[in-house]
Amino acid sequence: MTVGAEVGAGTAVAKAPPGGLLAWVATTDHKRIALRMAIVSFGFFLIGGLFALVMRSELADPGIQLVGRDTYNQLFTMHGSTMVFLVLTPLALALAVYIVPLQVGAADIAAPRVTLAGHWFVVAGGLTMYSSFLTDHGAGKAGWTAYYPLSGDSATPGTGMDLWVIGVILVGVGLTLVAACLLATIVTLRAPGMTMLRLPVFSWTMLATVLMIVMSVPVLAVGMALLLADRLGASIYESSGGPIAYQHLFWFFGHPAVYIMFFPYLGITAEVVATFARKRFTGYRPLIVALLVFTGLSMTVWAHHMFTTGQVANKYFSLTSTALVVAAGTEYFAVIATLIGGAILLRTAMLFGLGFFLQFLIGGLSGVILASPPLDYHAHDSYFVVAHFHYTLFAGSLFAGFAAAYFWFPKWTGAMLRESLGRIHFVLIVLGTNLTFFPMFLLGYDGMPRRVADYASDAGFTGLNRLSTLGSFLVALGVAVFLWNIFVSLRHREPAGDDPWEGHTLEWATSSPPPRYNFRSLPPITSHAPVLDRRLAAADTAAKPKRGRRR
Amino acid sequence: MEALIDTREEFQDLWGIYLPIGVAVAVIVFALVFFTLVRYRRRGDELPRGREGPPIVEGLYALVLAGVVVFLLAMTFRTDDEVTALSADPGAEVDVTAFQWGWRFTYPGEEVTVVGDDRRPPTLVVPTDTTVRFTVESRDVIHSFWIPELRFKRDAFPNREDSFDLSFEEDETVGRCAEFCGLAHGEMTFDVVAMAETEFRDWLETQRRAGGIQHGEPSS
Repeated sequence: MTVGAEVGAGTAVAKAPPGGLLAWVATTDHKRIALRMAIVSFGFFLIGGLFALVMRSELADPGIQLVGRDTYNQLFTMHGSTMVFLVLTPLALALAVYIVPLQVGAADIAAPRVTLAGHWFVVAGGLTMYSSFLTDHGAGKAGWTAYYPLSGDSATPGTGMDLWVIGVILVGVGLTLVAACLLATIVTLRAPGMTMLRLPVFSWTMLATVLMIVMSVPVLAVGMALLLADRLGASIYESSGGPIAYQHLFWFFGHPAVYIMFFPYLGITAEVVATFARKRFTGYRPLIVALLVFTGLSMTVWAHHMFTTGQVANKYFSLTSTALVVAAGTEYFAVIATLIGGAILLRTAMLFGLGFFLQFLIGGLSGVILASPPLDYHAHDSYFVVAHFHYTLFAGSLFAGFAAAYFWFPKWTGAMLRESLGRIHFVLIVLGTNLTFFPMFLLGYDGMPRRVADYASDAGFTGLNRLSTLGSFLVALGVAVFLWNIFVSLRHREPAGDDPWEGHTLEWATSSPPPRYNFRSLPPITSHAPVLDRRLAAADTAAKPKRGRRR
Repeated sequence: MEALIDTREEFQDLWGIYLPIGVAVAVIVFALVFFTLVRYRRRGDELPRGREGPPIVEGLYALVLAGVVVFLLAMTFRTDDEVTALSADPGAEVDVTAFQWGWRFTYPGEEVTVVGDDRRPPTLVVPTDTTVRFTVESRDVIHSFWIPELRFKRDAFPNREDSFDLSFEEDETVGRCAEFCGLAHGEMTFDVVAMAETEFRDWLETQRRAGGIQHGEPSS
């Protein structure tokens, strides 16, 4: 395999980049790093999804049938940790590592070796977490939140829990490194003409995301390092204020984290909606203001996870959390304004983008309910919360992840994904998702707590749980169709060309996949949609001889 | 006499404000999106020329949203004051100690204790039509005292007491731990029996004479 063959003219390379296995593990091409990050994340997604299927099977009937309570506790801990630490955040970063340098017209990401190191930290953290399954006491089993004292050495003894904590620290370091590289890329490597107010929408959402990551993830790493020290005998959290201090540290990371898993996917949806409405993204500046307001507020809302502790200023955190409605509403407004007056083409990517938009709304609106302390006193730690965050993270973010796959797969591989299989994938997963997660709202309202392997047969939870389990297997079927689609599309390639969707941003102004240093030439950049500008200018020129200039 | 706290009714009233607003917003957004998909579907090759509307539209819209936020917060704050208020003169008191994996209910000054675990859940006996003061604490990890019928829970932390008031109507219901606390978290339940004040006093008297400690019944 030769890597250096496509190096752009005029780029000085001191020595030929390595080939073979070394190229696979040590490439500094942001596109290869990104694809590897995405493949690793998707692998973890499949494993985390498998855990969910086992849990849903256990919950299909009252009683303990499939796995014991201890195993069940390990499964939901590892499911949550996998999806948050190893799937939704790294997947968003992977997309950004590929797309952001292209969108800003850069030849590579800033500090590619640091990006690479970050990627390997995440992999190492993931493997460390998973190695906990091999220990005597089993894997981490204190929930992905690992509340102290439950996560302490006396309540959860064993090396497995230690490994889980170490894994989270490593992942935290890795995510911070990758985020810092993206931040540097956006700030310093923009092409001539690419001012901050011409930055494409996805890159703006990524800028907000990486700002939140560098502000919040180090706090997680510190909180976990202290937990590790505590487990090894340092008694950090043992004082009477320790357990609540742990929660503050955890959620100071944990709440921006849920927006870290939202913004990138909102950005993807914005790009996809604009492209398939065949129209410039509308409300660009209000959207940016909303993003920045949202980012600022996101650092002030963490204790809305702690309303029932009786130890935080509930009204303050209710106020900041509910105020997010204004920023989020403005973002929704911009997407709808983009649809209005467009020429909408419902490709699979668009279907998934709109799926994100509408289903996330249900997650967001239920979030407004949870931001009200008196309502949270009932709903907290019930299945209502499980429904809420799966509507945001699964029915929301992951749908946008699929939108990104259908949208950018041609750019990554030069081949199109099959539309027909894509539609089947979409229908299965929409039905499955809503069948799985909507009943959980009702279960939670009726008093079913989260994180239990069993429920009483006379509690009235059985029917809704069965529906939910049925739905989860539809989701699995949908994911299988997606895998089949990738396989078929790579096996029998339909060439994509440089710009199959008539895209708006710079990644569509180069070949698919792009050459080693991304661009041979750049179109003039005078707005946040330079490739669309070029297309419109060409249409104007073509129309000129016949009808004269209309504007 | 001060009014009793009815957590269930306070919850339902506030829920009755939040839910319809949420459903209305969802219906409007869904309708708008489906409308645009039909009205603005692609009809030819011509590219639409999008124009930015004046930002005044976004500004007004943001103001409307801010108005809704202020309204919701006003309702929330009012309800929160109601359900977290502590009575100056509660009619009965129960000290709740949570542990892995069960509950101990002590009636201070009455020399009566009820205790049970995940195999033999205890029964919480309370008087109706009066304010019951609960003081919760944990002996080990964090637990949470939740009675779904009353739409209320409060966490039990180690080394820290926390109090709240509830009131009951004559009924039997269930309560449980809501904060994940380890192996038998799912089975950490208790039964609730609310009876008239006089019956409640009789019950306390019977318990005292029987030795003051009652254990939970084996669960079915």
